[in-house]
Amino acid sequence: MAEMEVKGGGGKKGPGVKKSKKLSTRVDLTPMVDLGFLLITFFMFTTTLSSPTAMKLIMPDETAKPEEQNEAAKSGAFTIILGKGDQCYYYEGDDPKTMQVTNVKGIRDKIIDKKSRTPADKLVVIIKPDVDATYADAVALLDEMTINDVKKYAMVAVRPDEYTLVQATEAANGIK
Amino acid sequence: MTAMCDVAFLLLTFFMLATKFKPEDVVKVAPPSSVSSDDVPDKNALQVLFDKEGKVFFTYSNGDELSGFVDVVSQQQNLGLNDVEKKRLIKILNGGGGIGVPFGELKQVLDLDADSYKAFKQPGIPAADSANNQLRTWIACLLASNGGKQPDNVLVKGDNGAKYPAFKEVLRAFTDNKVFHFKLVTAMADAPPGSALWDERHKK
Repeated sequence: MAEMEVKGGGGKKGPGVKKSKKLSTRVDLTPMVDLGFLLITFFMFTTTLSSPTAMKLIMPDETAKPEEQNEAAKSGAFTIILGKGDQCYYYEGDDPKTMQVTNVKGIRDKIIDKKSRTPADKLVVIIKPDVDATYADAVALLDEMTINDVKKYAMVAVRPDEYTLVQATEAANGIK
Repeated sequence: MTAMCDVAFLLLTFFMLATKFKPEDVVKVAPPSSVSSDDVPDKNALQVLFDKEGKVFFTYSNGDELSGFVDVVSQQQNLGLNDVEKKRLIKILNGGGGIGVPFGELKQVLDLDADSYKAFKQPGIPAADSANNQLRTWIACLLASNGGKQPDNVLVKGDNGAKYPAFKEVLRAFTDNKVFHFKLVTAMADAPPGSALWDERHKK
């Protein structure tokens, strides 16, 4: 492939002139091929691995008139409060006192459980990240809605009475 | 051997040409993962970045001119940017990584030469307190320059380690301007086996 036609020594030599040794013009291609494959692997990995995805999020208009906002039915409401250290505090209906604790990984079973007990048109999941929650947990919870096919959900601010309850639970459980 | 070499280099050329190196963001942001599978649009997209510490950065990539937008920003905030500075700002907004300085410092930062700009650590757009939420002003200027037309894509890219209030303030800056549709930039993850989504996707 990479050899060139070289005329060997040319025409007639005089007597006594030694025929010059024919040098090989073949080049070893192995390192070049190695490098080529290395680069291919590099470009292949960089092209496929860095593809971010977009997650749709539609926020409600908080300035809308209260009569236009729909109240969540008490029976189907499932409130999840996100706190420190990936902890979730959840309760059904409208009484924060019945709050229970789990973590972000464990919330899926609770959502599935609630979903199985509630008529599909009544179920509303309310996500309330408090000031100590992380962005990753909020996204994880929104993702759970897609994963578990929850049709109605909302992300709203945590109420002060709920927040004090969460803080008390956090203090009792020693979560920093 | 020759044939293999040919194929290898053909592939190499293909991947080299097909790879599009995205402009480096001003800060390193590792987004959380989600199961959504939509692509992130990169044209006509307004993107707000926030990092671990809640520093906010703003980029806007648009196929056509941004000069109208930059003019509005300069005028409304009384920055008095000259043409060179405006050009710099357009370049930074449009694929240059993003801008993250308060309006008060913007002119100085745009006057920096390329090397000092690289070395300069941007403090982030003030967005944490609602009285002086400058991200809101940026968005208001953008809407004003567009004649109130909503941007096609609003991307929010936050870091895994960011606190929720940072995200909330970013959203507030938008909702105050009546922009309600967002796309969160996330890393791809598979639907967990056994879940409703997994069943849906594997119905066939």
